Amino acid sequence: MRMDRRVKMIRLKNITKKYELNKNNIVTALDNISLDIKDGELVVLKGVSGSGKSTILSLIASLSKPTTGDVVVNNKRVSKLPDNFASDYRQEDIGFIFQRYNLIPTLSVEDNILLPLVPTNPDELEAKEKLDMVMEQFNISDKKDTIVRNLSGGEQQRVAIARALVNNPKIVIADEPTANLDERLSLDFIEILGELKSSGKTIIVATHDPLFFDLDMVDRIVDIQGGKIV
Amino acid sequence: MILAPEVLAILILNSIFLLFSLVAFFLSFKISFGWDMNATTKEQYSLEKQSYLGATIIKYIFAIKLPLFLFFIFTLDKISTLLTGAMCAAGVVDATDYGAYLLILKLLNLYLFGFWLTIHYLDIKNPTLPYTKVKFEFFMVAFIFLLIEIVLEGVMFYSIDINKMVSCCGTLYSSSSTSAIAGIFSIDKSLLLTVFYGNFILIVTFYIMKYRYLFAIVNLSFLIVALISLIQFFGTYIYQLPTHHCPFCFLQRDYYYIGYLLYTLLFLGTFYGMRVGVIDMLGEKDKSGLKISLWCNFLYVILVTGYVIIYFIENGVWL
Repeated sequence: MRMDRRVKMIRLKNITKKYELNKNNIVTALDNISLDIKDGELVVLKGVSGSGKSTILSLIASLSKPTTGDVVVNNKRVSKLPDNFASDYRQEDIGFIFQRYNLIPTLSVEDNILLPLVPTNPDELEAKEKLDMVMEQFNISDKKDTIVRNLSGGEQQRVAIARALVNNPKIVIADEPTANLDERLSLDFIEILGELKSSGKTIIVATHDPLFFDLDMVDRIVDIQGGKIV
Repeated sequence: MILAPEVLAILILNSIFLLFSLVAFFLSFKISFGWDMNATTKEQYSLEKQSYLGATIIKYIFAIKLPLFLFFIFTLDKISTLLTGAMCAAGVVDATDYGAYLLILKLLNLYLFGFWLTIHYLDIKNPTLPYTKVKFEFFMVAFIFLLIEIVLEGVMFYSIDINKMVSCCGTLYSSSSTSAIAGIFSIDKSLLLTVFYGNFILIVTFYIMKYRYLFAIVNLSFLIVALISLIQFFGTYIYQLPTHHCPFCFLQRDYYYIGYLLYTLLFLGTFYGMRVGVIDMLGEKDKSGLKISLWCNFLYVILVTGYVIIYFIENGVWL
């Protein structure tokens, strides 16, 4: 048996996350879980709605802080990052693909994709190069000036992926990426995931879509139930 | 009690500051005793959230308090017209037993609050928040000074009796005055000027040699010497009167509000100078502070010296 020598990219240590809705209503989303994800791995977080998958993603992306425990990404303790540093970390290291795409419907495809570059204030030529590269990669070059609300669901999904990757992040996080897509478009998305994995990205997908569970390219399926890894 | 709109504004603001600073003090107390950035416990994550709240409250109180010092001086000057005998803010300061202490405390607090903002700035620019504990401990000390200032300010405005006659600045700032101020006038002028310009030369020297601690120390001494020389010597050239030494009259329109510029330059210059020492103590480097300090102090020296030279050119004599 060959040993996997890839370095640990993401490490969740004894994570508990509780949401305090009010004094008498505290929801435990994650209950003392630990999880390691290696560099270049494609991990699927499997579980029903409310099992805690999205909470894991938001902790890795430093969108929220754990109640107890530590999240370390690429040797950076992201659970301890102050808000302004967490924004920089997300901007540099994370590409986030949302279930509902979270695009700005009144802006063009080009403007939506360029949004993550705004805080870095790149020169025009550099921004154009990055834009052209991702639009070509996801086959949306001809839609450059189209307003996003006029696109189909599949096209919007590809714009969302292009936006997530325009900064060339090390980690790609997808939260229920195929929930709004039909089977053909879902298979297209899986093909894109395969390309991303080949390019060396670390990918974490939270889904309950069975299409993901028998894929060869998936390194690991992590089953989450009631805030615990089973 | 005097209830001019400016006084009311100060008292209302003080009440708000008091309320919020109490919240910040409570949070500072918790953070000072429980902070451990390496811990991944529920308590630490909770303290990290509370530290943002606490630091934001303190930051806004102190950032508003700094320019409010000039508004306080402006208010004293404005209400001087309501007191019989007062010609400027000096009469209001002398109208109660608390005025002089309040003024000195406000000056001290100006620097304390500025230093807190400096430590806060250094803390939040580092992802490990290395000075969080220090800055909240420092706030607990600064809070006591803030509290005394707020109480003293309220008591001072409450104690002002508009029916009581007060002394004018001509009496208060004269060699015949019975107050501690009279001591200033016994200092030899040439000695005072030698110390003033000598101190400034030391500031320039330590700037060039990058001796940060010494730069900070000479800035502290420059503040004291500059204030004394302004009252004893330079002020007379601003007024073009050899017997007028008031440190407030040149804040008035008759003197084109030049006092606000002079004090702003002096306080900014010496604050940034001393800040260099504070930053150095924390093991960091502050290049811009050195430059700002030098420029502000330089402009201050040029301005006050300019008044003397212009007077001499126009009249052919020294005062």
